[in-house]
Amino acid sequence: MNTVLSRANSLFAFSLSVMAALTFGCFITTAFKDRSVPVDIHVSKVMLKNVDDFTGPRERSDLGFLTFDISADLQPIFDWNVKQLFLYLSAEYTTKSNALNQVVLWDKIVLRGEQTKLYLKDMKSKYFFFDDGNGLRANKNITLTLSWNVVPNAGILPLVIGSGHESLTFPDTYETTKSY
Amino acid sequence: MQSIFSSIPTHMDYKGQKLAEQIFQGIILVSAVIGFIYGLIIEQFGWTVYIVLGGFAISCLLTLPPWPVYRRNPLAWQPVLAESQGEAREKPQENPKKPRKHK
Repeated sequence: MNTVLSRANSLFAFSLSVMAALTFGCFITTAFKDRSVPVDIHVSKVMLKNVDDFTGPRERSDLGFLTFDISADLQPIFDWNVKQLFLYLSAEYTTKSNALNQVVLWDKIVLRGEQTKLYLKDMKSKYFFFDDGNGLRANKNITLTLSWNVVPNAGILPLVIGSGHESLTFPDTYETTKSY
Repeated sequence: MQSIFSSIPTHMDYKGQKLAEQIFQGIILVSAVIGFIYGLIIEQFGWTVYIVLGGFAISCLLTLPPWPVYRRNPLAWQPVLAESQGEAREKPQENPKKPRKHK
C-alpha cells in the first residue's frame, strides 16, 4: 500500500541514511590527520612554598607557583570536523614516592571561529600545583607540556600532545610566608 | 473528519510510485554529493547538513503529493462481469505441494 505516509516514511529514512553516510565521510576525511602543532612554553617565574595541605594527612606539602608564557598557532588543527579544542597545560615530574606525577595547571577552551593564535603572557596557573609530599623542593626536572583534546563533529576524540616542552627546576629553599 | 481526509486524493499508480521513488532518491543523492563537496571546500559541515535538508524539502514537495505525472498509467481493470457468471468463477486453488522427501 503506497500512501502519502509511506512515501514520507521512505523519503525520511533514505535521507537519514544518506546523512549518516555523509557524517561518516566527514569523519573519514579527517581521521588520519596529524593534529599536533609546535608550542612554545616559557616559564618566567618560579616560587615554592611549603603550606598546610588540608586535603591530605595533616602535614605540610609543597606548593609551587608558576608564571608562564604560551604561544602557539592552532589554526592548522581546525577543519570541518572540529568543534572546539580543550587545551591543558600539565606538569610531569618524578619524585621518590612516585615514578610519574602529572598535575594539570591551567586549561582553556578554544571554540571554532575564535582567535586561533595563542599568545599568552605572564599567565598564572588556574589550579594549585600541589605535590603530595615534599617532592617539589629541589626537583630539577619538571616538564611542562601543552596537550589538547580535539572535540569533533563525528568520530573519535583524539588526545594530542603538542610538540614543545619546557623544563624547569624548583629552588632548594622555600619561600617563607610573610606575616602581615 | 475522517471523511475529509480520505477524500483528499493521494493515490499514485504503480509506475508513478516507481518514478516518485527514483526522483526522491536522485534528488537526495545529488544534494548529498553537492553538500559534501561544498562543506569540504568551505570547511563547514553544517552547510552539508543544510544542503541535504534542502534536498529533502524539495523531494517532499515533488514526490509526496500525487502530481498528475504520477497518475499517467492507471491500471486497466477488467470490465464488470455480468451477475450470472459471478458464482461459477471460483478457481481451484493451485497450490502444488512439494513432493515429500523420502529417506
